[in-house]
Amino acid sequence: MSFEPDQREELRRKFDQFADDRDPAVRSQLVEGHLGLAEYLARRFSNRGEPLEDLVQVASLGLLKAVDRFEPTRGVEFSTYATHTIVGELKRHFRDKGWAVRAPRRMQELYLRLGKVVSSLSQDLGRSPTIPELAADAQVSEEEVLEALEAGQAYRFSSLDAPSGAGEDDDGDTLSSHLGGDDPRLLEAEHRAALSPLIERLPPRDQTILHLRFFVGMTQSEIAGQMGISQMHVSRLLARSLDQLRAAASES
Amino acid sequence: MPAEEEVRLTVPATPELLRLARVTASGVASRLGFTYDEVEDLRLAIDELCFAVTGGKRQEGWVLMRYVVGGDGDTLEVHGKASFAAPGPEPLLNELSGAVLDALVDEHAVHRGDGQGSPSFRLVKRRSGSP
Repeated sequence: MSFEPDQREELRRKFDQFADDRDPAVRSQLVEGHLGLAEYLARRFSNRGEPLEDLVQVASLGLLKAVDRFEPTRGVEFSTYATHTIVGELKRHFRDKGWAVRAPRRMQELYLRLGKVVSSLSQDLGRSPTIPELAADAQVSEEEVLEALEAGQAYRFSSLDAPSGAGEDDDGDTLSSHLGGDDPRLLEAEHRAALSPLIERLPPRDQTILHLRFFVGMTQSEIAGQMGISQMHVSRLLARSLDQLRAAASES
Repeated sequence: MPAEEEVRLTVPATPELLRLARVTASGVASRLGFTYDEVEDLRLAIDELCFAVTGGKRQEGWVLMRYVVGGDGDTLEVHGKASFAAPGPEPLLNELSGAVLDALVDEHAVHRGDGQGSPSFRLVKRRSGSP
């Protein structure tokens, strides 16, 4: 990917500025300016059985790390540095998920079916269903339910329409837009968010779900109801967010 | 305690195989009548604690998992004890992990061990009302 000379100069200036003041707005611009590179590199890995959108997300996370760690004074072009970091992140993704990605298709399909069963049973029962109840409704064994939930873990990155993870609410997709109103618990949640810059790196919706589950104390099914998405989707988003937070925390 | 109320599993300390620790926890919790919500919480908690003792990386050695049924069959206590060939990373449980675990389980603890590659963790998860 290439830039016009004046664009390149502009980016260089921004990197210098970011190195000085770590301004989140500049950081966001730098990330956005290079999303094309992340997508290009993700495409190079797209024939390995993982959906492209997931790979773009992984690559975007790599890009974010590259922006944070890049030192303009070292004399290396950012694109060179970022390529190395992004490819590293993509390779790590395949290495870490290798076992799970090979989950049989039958289990992946059962997992998707169970998502609907969880929703309908929760509604009918007025509480979260047990595993035997899920098995009975889906007409499979309890072991198959457990196996499918595990297979679903491999999908924690999949079909999630999360943004790049630039950490900015520049698309209007804010915490309050998900919740509306002035929920007093939200204020506390926002306060807790300030404790963790790591959380701020997550896409806004993922931040909201984390707050509601871990700081407000809502259950997964309550969050699903409030946000209008399936409980399994909440579960996957939580698992993915925690994964990313652990990776980020262990590196920092 | 009757033998059938405790399950033991020894897993190589690699991220891929520590999934088995999670699967086993789900299986035991399911037998106890935990709800889907609770099983999902337990799985996330096991992930968090396994990461804390292994640093999320492959370590030479093993993690011995014990799943102990307690209370009136409504409590699952999970112990994980590492036995690494060399001293591993310091068990990592930052403030955020602590808050996450507070929300997921009833009790949790991580121990450094003797600093010679034997960190451990413990969690307790109680089933909510009877389904």
